[in-house]
Amino acid sequence: MPSFEYSTPTTVDQAIALLNQSGASALAGGTDLLIHLRAGIVAPKQLVDLSALDLNYVRKDDGIIRIGAMTTFAEILDSDVVRRDLPCLAESAAEIGAVQTRNMATLGGNLCSAVPSADSAPPLLVYDARVKIAGSDGERLVPLEQFFVGPKKNALKPGELLIEIQASVPLPRTGARFLKLGRRKAMSLAVVNVAARLTLGQDHRRVENVRIALGAVAPTPRRAKRAESVLQGSDVSESLIDRAARAAADEIAPISDLRATATFRRESSRVLVKRALTHAWQMATGETKPND
Amino acid sequence: MIERQIELRVNGQSFTILVKPQDLLVDVLRDQLGFTGTKKGCGTGECGACTILLDGKPVNSCLMPALRARNKDIITIEGLGTPEHLHPLQQAFIENAAVQCGFCAPGMLLSAKALLDANSHPTETEIRQAISGNLCRCTGYAKIVQAVKAAAQAMTQGDGNP
Repeated sequence: MPSFEYSTPTTVDQAIALLNQSGASALAGGTDLLIHLRAGIVAPKQLVDLSALDLNYVRKDDGIIRIGAMTTFAEILDSDVVRRDLPCLAESAAEIGAVQTRNMATLGGNLCSAVPSADSAPPLLVYDARVKIAGSDGERLVPLEQFFVGPKKNALKPGELLIEIQASVPLPRTGARFLKLGRRKAMSLAVVNVAARLTLGQDHRRVENVRIALGAVAPTPRRAKRAESVLQGSDVSESLIDRAARAAADEIAPISDLRATATFRRESSRVLVKRALTHAWQMATGETKPND
Repeated sequence: MIERQIELRVNGQSFTILVKPQDLLVDVLRDQLGFTGTKKGCGTGECGACTILLDGKPVNSCLMPALRARNKDIITIEGLGTPEHLHPLQQAFIENAAVQCGFCAPGMLLSAKALLDANSHPTETEIRQAISGNLCRCTGYAKIVQAVKAAAQAMTQGDGNP
């Protein structure tokens, strides 16, 4: 392994000062970075270890859930707040790697990796999450949708640090579901991953708000807005969900690679979107509970 | 690159050693401290042979700079039992023939220990999930799952020396 300097700042300001030095790279959980280091894909002069920063928390205040960027997926799975209010995120955390990966990998790291298959991205997209970014000029809040700018490319400027993920507590009559298709049950990169959220009106039929997001079927994790518009404002039904699922499959841009062909990804996306929406619908009407 | 002096706590014992920033925990444990029970398999966090417990939780020591393990409690397979007093999991692995070549066994045992520490009556699904980050190319897993079940039973009946 090539050599590098190593620092362990204890405040975000210190971390940003270090990250502004040339050749510095942030070290979160390390489950991607250490592999890339060994393979020579990256060669930073300095690693800035973020583990001593106070960025490991799940808090809820004023209807906003705040998750520190260094919170591990094991901690997300253990969080009562996430399991109750953002069940779709907990479902995705359970699908990431295996126990060892989840004890190391962090939510902030997964988002910053900006890989198209990042499992935590579709759930956070359907919850309209925002990311808080700190830099030498202060902090800014960016909608997660704008954070992914290309394959493995995020919206961070040099020297910036993602410090917090925020999502609003969903309204009543909301259901959500994350589904992942992989080649095996553990340690698997998604062939397709899908999240859907439905919020119904007081009549328990009209779709007040809907979000559908997919991963591994486009250069970035992305929403399926045409599919959302099929449902938005209409009375939810099986046939409408069917149409929305077809619309989602039409608007994605999957590629063929060693894990699956584009055709298989498109058809799998249709099926997963349909299943996720159906489950979200049942959950929104109270027929099923989170994590059923 | 400048070496740094750090203290690592392994199996309840403190060691003061010199490490470089790029030294991985698995290499330091094996090559500097002699805990060669920790195996290095894929080196990319896929196979789980290098699993150790860090503050009680299974992690891949091949993906962790040794500097990051400062001020943490590390348990390796050498800390699980002794030849005279095997851990109930080790006893159960022997009795159920859950070890063939043995390369995965240290990581497998530590993942199983973390499971039983948190959940004394795991279901078969929970056992399979707990060891899903540990690859075994010999056994087909059936005997391993059987052994973890037997160990759980032995430990809850107070049979054995946890």
